[in-house]
Amino acid sequence: MEGEKARKRLQANTALRQIITDFYAEGHRAKAERRPVIWIPPMNGLIELFYAMGITPVFPENWAPLCAAIGTNRKNFEYAAQRGFSGDLCGYFRNNVGYALDGINEENQPLNGLPAPDFLISFGAGCIPTMKAFQVMCDHFKVPVFKADLPQVAMEKIEKRHIAYGVAQIKRLIRFLEDETGLKFDIDKLRQAVIHTNEACRLWDEIMATRSTIPSPFSAAEIGIMFVMVTRHGTEIAVNFLRDVLQEVNEKVARGEGVIPHEKIRLFWDNIPLWYNMQLFNYFEKWDAVVVAETYTSAWSLRLNPDEPLESIAYKSLVSYPLVSCVSLNKRIELITRAVRDYKIDGAILHSNRSCRPISMGQMDIQRVLAEELSVPSVMFDGDHMDGEKFSMAQFQTRIDALMEMILEKKRVS
Amino acid sequence: MNRELKDLVHRHREIAREEKKENGRLVFGTLCSYVPVEILHAFDILPVRLWGDGKNHERADTLLPTYICPPARNIMAMGLAGQYDFLDGVIHSYTCDATCGLFNIWCRNLKPAFSFLLSPPYMNTDEAVAYCITEFKALIAALEDYTGKQYSAERLRKSIKLYDAARERIGAIYQANRNGATVRYLDLYQMNLALQVLPIERVVPFYDAYLSNLRMSPGKGAKHRIMISGSVVSDPDILARIEELGGDIVVDDTCLGYRLVQQRVPPHEDPLSALARYYLDRPPCSSRADFPARKEYIRETISAFDVNAVIFMHQKFCEPHLADHPFLKNVLAEKGIPQVQFELDGEGLTGQIQTRLEGFFEMLEVK
Repeated sequence: MEGEKARKRLQANTALRQIITDFYAEGHRAKAERRPVIWIPPMNGLIELFYAMGITPVFPENWAPLCAAIGTNRKNFEYAAQRGFSGDLCGYFRNNVGYALDGINEENQPLNGLPAPDFLISFGAGCIPTMKAFQVMCDHFKVPVFKADLPQVAMEKIEKRHIAYGVAQIKRLIRFLEDETGLKFDIDKLRQAVIHTNEACRLWDEIMATRSTIPSPFSAAEIGIMFVMVTRHGTEIAVNFLRDVLQEVNEKVARGEGVIPHEKIRLFWDNIPLWYNMQLFNYFEKWDAVVVAETYTSAWSLRLNPDEPLESIAYKSLVSYPLVSCVSLNKRIELITRAVRDYKIDGAILHSNRSCRPISMGQMDIQRVLAEELSVPSVMFDGDHMDGEKFSMAQFQTRIDALMEMILEKKRVS
Repeated sequence: MNRELKDLVHRHREIAREEKKENGRLVFGTLCSYVPVEILHAFDILPVRLWGDGKNHERADTLLPTYICPPARNIMAMGLAGQYDFLDGVIHSYTCDATCGLFNIWCRNLKPAFSFLLSPPYMNTDEAVAYCITEFKALIAALEDYTGKQYSAERLRKSIKLYDAARERIGAIYQANRNGATVRYLDLYQMNLALQVLPIERVVPFYDAYLSNLRMSPGKGAKHRIMISGSVVSDPDILARIEELGGDIVVDDTCLGYRLVQQRVPPHEDPLSALARYYLDRPPCSSRADFPARKEYIRETISAFDVNAVIFMHQKFCEPHLADHPFLKNVLAEKGIPQVQFELDGEGLTGQIQTRLEGFFEMLEVK
């Protein structure tokens, strides 16, 4: 079951494959050339800082989906279990800890694996598994550690004082990096990185908005394009790639070309995809159904102000996690409500994800809003974004088929 | 221990209802030990820690996934059953993902008149303290708005003094236990819980009475000196079984116990600064600590209480503690301290837990 790949239809995927290869190769090149490599959690504003300072960031959490897609996740899970980590812990945690502690020593890793870190960040921020995974790594790799502090604030409650505290932490990080690497921080380079990120976010929103057209030019099967939003924020690589994607999808819209020939049902997906089985997104096609919007992809629906680069990356760091988790449940429900209207959603699929409690909590409330306020039928299935053993294809198909029949019946009646 | 206190703890929701009805006090539910209850008290609000024992959680299945820890599900179930229908407000100070989710789902479904998510820093620097004060001030502004009362530093000083006095006494009982007095951990558990769920004014006399009745316990030296570790540990049956098997629980590393009473609020002319210092100075819980901080607390406490075995009682699906466990196991192995771990799945003292405990104590005997 694991390693099932989605049928992708965007030409941009060819360029994406190269971007992925280049990203990992760049990490190894930096290591070989003795340039600093830092491992950091994803979805925060530090990536812009690292690129601005010439430090190569590596994201174990982005590595995990790749391991799941290729199938090395199982071996990493085994390593984590051998070290005493419970099977109830998040799959990202188990994969990344298993890989960092033992898997990293294996030969013939996909993309040559990850280059070992020269620095690490021990987080007080983000979800517990991410925070704890980095603590395990900090304990394991004997490298300098920066202890970060970012309070968990509901998105709608973020005020200037939170941003000011975030800025103070970033300034502390800059001093740490300058001291450890001898590299100098240049605010103008950071400003440029923020300009790139802001443009990437704007393009991202425009790309996502094309999916509101009927038929939708692409589906969730193409969600891998978000690789650049995770790893290449702050660079022209993301901007150039996304411009090409936008052009391609705009052309499809202009031609009235949908991802499938006869789109009948438009779906919303809540929670992280099953990285080991992206083919699920093609399963809907037998019902002429397409997933046209997701919660996860809205994580980059933000704008930064290049005139205030430090404040911008502090804001990005504060907002990224609450935006898609249960820290801001009401905000998330607002987002879904808007998506249902904007993307003309017929039905929703909620992945009850054993590997992600912050995103899975609140799904019953979401389901109730969908039914009672939006009259959108939905189905929830049990799964896990990293571990195929916690997912039943039969349960998934049964539930999806029932949902599709319900939606078709509803459409027929109306 | 005094049966009256145990009874009051058992009836704490009833008592909160009475306080509300007879004295017109507002009652707020608190989630996690980082809620500055002193501030609530200074506004004449009665803080009641939402406390779940992990049992009877099925009712929560309509709102929470089954892979959330049993105490969170139990709290939600009690809320849905109307057991907390007297609450005027709910406050969570961010610790773990599950509790934050519980807080948001509670607010959405049970619609308390007042709710607040406090976002404390993770570090304990001057910068962090200054930021923490701004969080407290935001809470105060919200409370002023809701209650129509003005914040008074003087009132806060008095509230801090009350809580400090209670914590000091429980701290003294831990020390007496450490030094061989006739303390049962089950009593300490009730006293710790009383501090969290009863009006503070009512609990201190019980602690004083307990302290004054303490005697040295001649048989204690023969028992194994145990530390228990976990998040919410709320199964008296298991604690009792540990005692029956020859364990003397001298200290803990839980959401309820020694970490919370170990320190006093430092003297400072500004009570908010003092309070921020107190909450950040406390040994952090697993959700707020990095590994060095966890190691420091475990090592120091083991040494201070002369602990010779540790029992990890982890709630099922409790990610912070499950993630810490292999690390802490190694910390203990370095010191030659034996440990055992089991998970609590809302079923209390199960046969499996009994067997593991019995095996562990047999091993300790041989050792």
